[in-house]
Amino acid sequence: MSETALVDRRWIERGAERASTMRFLLWLFPWVCLLLLGVYAAGLCFYYGLNQTNMDNRFAFGLWIFLDLTVIALGAGAFFTGFLVYILKQQDLKPVLNSAVVIGLTCYSGAVAVLMVDVGQPLRAWFTFWYPNTHSMLTEVTFCISCYLLVLVLEYIPVLVKNRQLRRVPSFLVFEHQAHKLVPVLAGVGAFLSFFHQGSLGGLYGVLRGRPFAYRQGFMIWPSTFFLFILSAIAVGPSFLMLVVATAEKITGQKLVDFRVYRKLGFISGVMLAIYVAAKAIDTYVWLNVTSPSMGFGPWDYYSYWPLSSTFLFTATVPLGLLPAILFIVPRTARHRGLLLLAAALTCCGVALNRFVMTVQTLALPTLPFDPFLKYTPSWQEVATFGAVVAYGVIVYSLSYRYLPMFEAMKGE
Amino acid sequence: MSARYGMVIDLDRCTGCGACMIACAAENNVSPPEPRATWRTGITPMVVRALSNGKDGTDRREAFIPITCMHCEHETPCVSVCPQQAVEFDKSTGIVMQMPQRCLGCRYCMTACPYHARYFNWWDPQWPPGMEKSLNPGVSVRMRGVVEKCNLCHSRYHDALQKAAAAGKKEIDVADYVPACVEACPTGAIQFGDLADPKDPATIAAKSPDAFRLLEAIGTEPKIHYKTTQAWIRALADRQSDRPTEAPHV
Amino acid sequence: MFPWIDGFHWTPTHIIFLSLFGAALSAILATAAWGLWRTLGDFRKHLAAATCWRENFGELPAVEKRCRHELAGRLPSRQCDHAFDCRTCPNYDKFAALPANVPASRAGVSYSDNLLYHRGHTWVRGDWDGTFAIGLDEFAKHLVGSPESVKLPEVCDEVESEGIAWTMIKNGHKIRVRSPLAGTVISTGGPDSDFYLKILPHSQPNLRHLLKGPEVAGWLAAEVDRLQMQMSKGKATLADGGTMMPDLMDAEPGSDWDAILESTFIDR
Repeated sequence: MSETALVDRRWIERGAERASTMRFLLWLFPWVCLLLLGVYAAGLCFYYGLNQTNMDNRFAFGLWIFLDLTVIALGAGAFFTGFLVYILKQQDLKPVLNSAVVIGLTCYSGAVAVLMVDVGQPLRAWFTFWYPNTHSMLTEVTFCISCYLLVLVLEYIPVLVKNRQLRRVPSFLVFEHQAHKLVPVLAGVGAFLSFFHQGSLGGLYGVLRGRPFAYRQGFMIWPSTFFLFILSAIAVGPSFLMLVVATAEKITGQKLVDFRVYRKLGFISGVMLAIYVAAKAIDTYVWLNVTSPSMGFGPWDYYSYWPLSSTFLFTATVPLGLLPAILFIVPRTARHRGLLLLAAALTCCGVALNRFVMTVQTLALPTLPFDPFLKYTPSWQEVATFGAVVAYGVIVYSLSYRYLPMFEAMKGE
Repeated sequence: MSARYGMVIDLDRCTGCGACMIACAAENNVSPPEPRATWRTGITPMVVRALSNGKDGTDRREAFIPITCMHCEHETPCVSVCPQQAVEFDKSTGIVMQMPQRCLGCRYCMTACPYHARYFNWWDPQWPPGMEKSLNPGVSVRMRGVVEKCNLCHSRYHDALQKAAAAGKKEIDVADYVPACVEACPTGAIQFGDLADPKDPATIAAKSPDAFRLLEAIGTEPKIHYKTTQAWIRALADRQSDRPTEAPHV
Repeated sequence: MFPWIDGFHWTPTHIIFLSLFGAALSAILATAAWGLWRTLGDFRKHLAAATCWRENFGELPAVEKRCRHELAGRLPSRQCDHAFDCRTCPNYDKFAALPANVPASRAGVSYSDNLLYHRGHTWVRGDWDGTFAIGLDEFAKHLVGSPESVKLPEVCDEVESEGIAWTMIKNGHKIRVRSPLAGTVISTGGPDSDFYLKILPHSQPNLRHLLKGPEVAGWLAAEVDRLQMQMSKGKATLADGGTMMPDLMDAEPGSDWDAILESTFIDR
């Protein structure tokens, strides 16, 4: 790689191999376009109102809420990896810790940005803090996510100021030196906060007594929605982290982490997933036979609508839950990089499907006896905003990879 | 002494004329709908839905059911879920009060409501020039991005309170407090009263064997009761929805 | 939210909920504040420069962290774990007692036995009046040649040990030279002068971290080897017999000068 091709080499870690500046810009270009399109769509929503979307009084929650829940589950790798490294002292996961922080930061900040577009009155966002309803799961989610975003920003700053040029500012370097010692505290607080909001996101639907599909009675809200959501988030976090790092390796053509790290992440994911599938099976059994009938709804009623037949229930748990768990845990399959990454992808899809079922499907199913099964297709503005969040994540990760020491293996010569 | 205002709607008398819907819109300053609005995006705090027994020919039966906020008495779903406490259960009247000026527009209450009685302002309200003169000064206008619903014409309750206070009384005269839909119904199908008062005609009607409520099994204790002698309507209301009827429209 | 707001009343749920969040938020803000406070403290106690030096040292590859005693031939191999700051190294006395074993001719670049050398390629000379002159050593001079500009501190400015003494610009590279000592600047010189800075320390300085005698030869030889490797990546060579050519930055502009200057002046 000729020196002149790296116009921004002063900003790049010494000795690190990077694509030429032109190639990097070409890589960024489509993502920036996608981001700008999404920003424009969001602008339309701010200016004209939420009638720009295809949400309505029956689908009060749509694509964006699905995006929020999914992206927050995928970003759970941030808190969980931090917890594993700093609290449980699993030092062999350190190489992917910075990646996890970047993924977490983009996931959470992206989710908050979309939430600001999703609510009818974004300028009133402070109302939740000023008039909190401590009985509402959404209050808990709001507080937790705001605090946790702050934690992620503080965890990202030491990574950011290690940039080759930024570290030349003495105050930045000294702050990084001091902040480094504090990261375990942040990891602990982050784990505490994440535990609660991951669970509360499930609890959001578990409390809806008007939605028998999602409702869990009384104390059962806790194991059925709260803990199940935490479990699935912990299961998918390492998987998504693996996928992102593997994608980065593929795109950059560089080996960034040892395969053992993938196997460890996969094993953790697999164990969590196995526990989740077992717990979910119990929960589903109880809900089918006890909860739902007690509210006057025959459970198989839910699955007689096309395309949501019982295949859906099967799809959520077996190919996207049990199968990846097996692939992760059984040594013969876990040894293969391809199968490991396939399992990670299946896990991510499974959790996304679970979030979809809890949000969109819950709303589609009729509650009043004379209501039809409803359908909803997101508008282009909603899809564009979704795309913008994905683009934002790719751009931030790409920039972080290029200019910051994300992987310890990248040190100098 | 706390009141528990509610309604008993006689489905045998409801003709589906929609006068209650119009009266409600007029009373509550609901603007004419946007051209793009549908039954799923329009604002109809009182809405009349069509029911049928699904049969054809001479066996076919149809009826109309006005749906409004049920002012759930027990563990009101929308009250407990609102993150900003923009919904309040008024203990003195039993009315579930929506405060649009505190509403963030998160729409969580809309997902919580089992009766789909909550409506979001997807657009800013607009009145044709001159029509703003017909606005009711007792009810504030809502802007886009907030949720609204029936509040049992609380402004009329306020007027009744002021009238009572002017006469030196603490309690209102129930005859002074008549919601717009009740007043407008040409067949008198909607009976309004204090369900906490055992002598109130509405309370007596609510206790009749023909009376029922929607989604009783959920346990929200709605204060809107329905009454009918037609068994098929009772069966439809009790039956779980595994066979959807045609998409309802007014 | 507050007791005087109409309709609001505290319930146990409020107290538990807000206490938990208050605790979490306090922990987060306290952490950030503590970090900032410690940073400010480092600056106030004049420890910031030392911290930056240690951080930069930490980023060096292992081969560039060799202990002076290894370079002097006292030990077969040892990696410095003290950021080259022998003043606080507990093992210094133990190793310094061993005999050095490096021929002076190995250096590859000239040096003086009368000067003390800092591993950031500056030399120190104590003068009769208690002041210390600081200059750029021959290795650095051969590298940089004539700098396009030099920014020296003002007289009466304070410099910290391992703090920035002066900066030079050459071929678009900004070179920050670290001071081997702390003190007040009493006189400035430059590339055309005998010295760059003359400083007066506040108290009798500890000079243990500076190299002298045969150690310097060993160290400079290692530096020349390192330079040779770094330059050969750009397909350049030093010159005949391992002796440094002067004005290398001008002679070999194609080399990775960012890397070479970072390693030389231990500044990233």
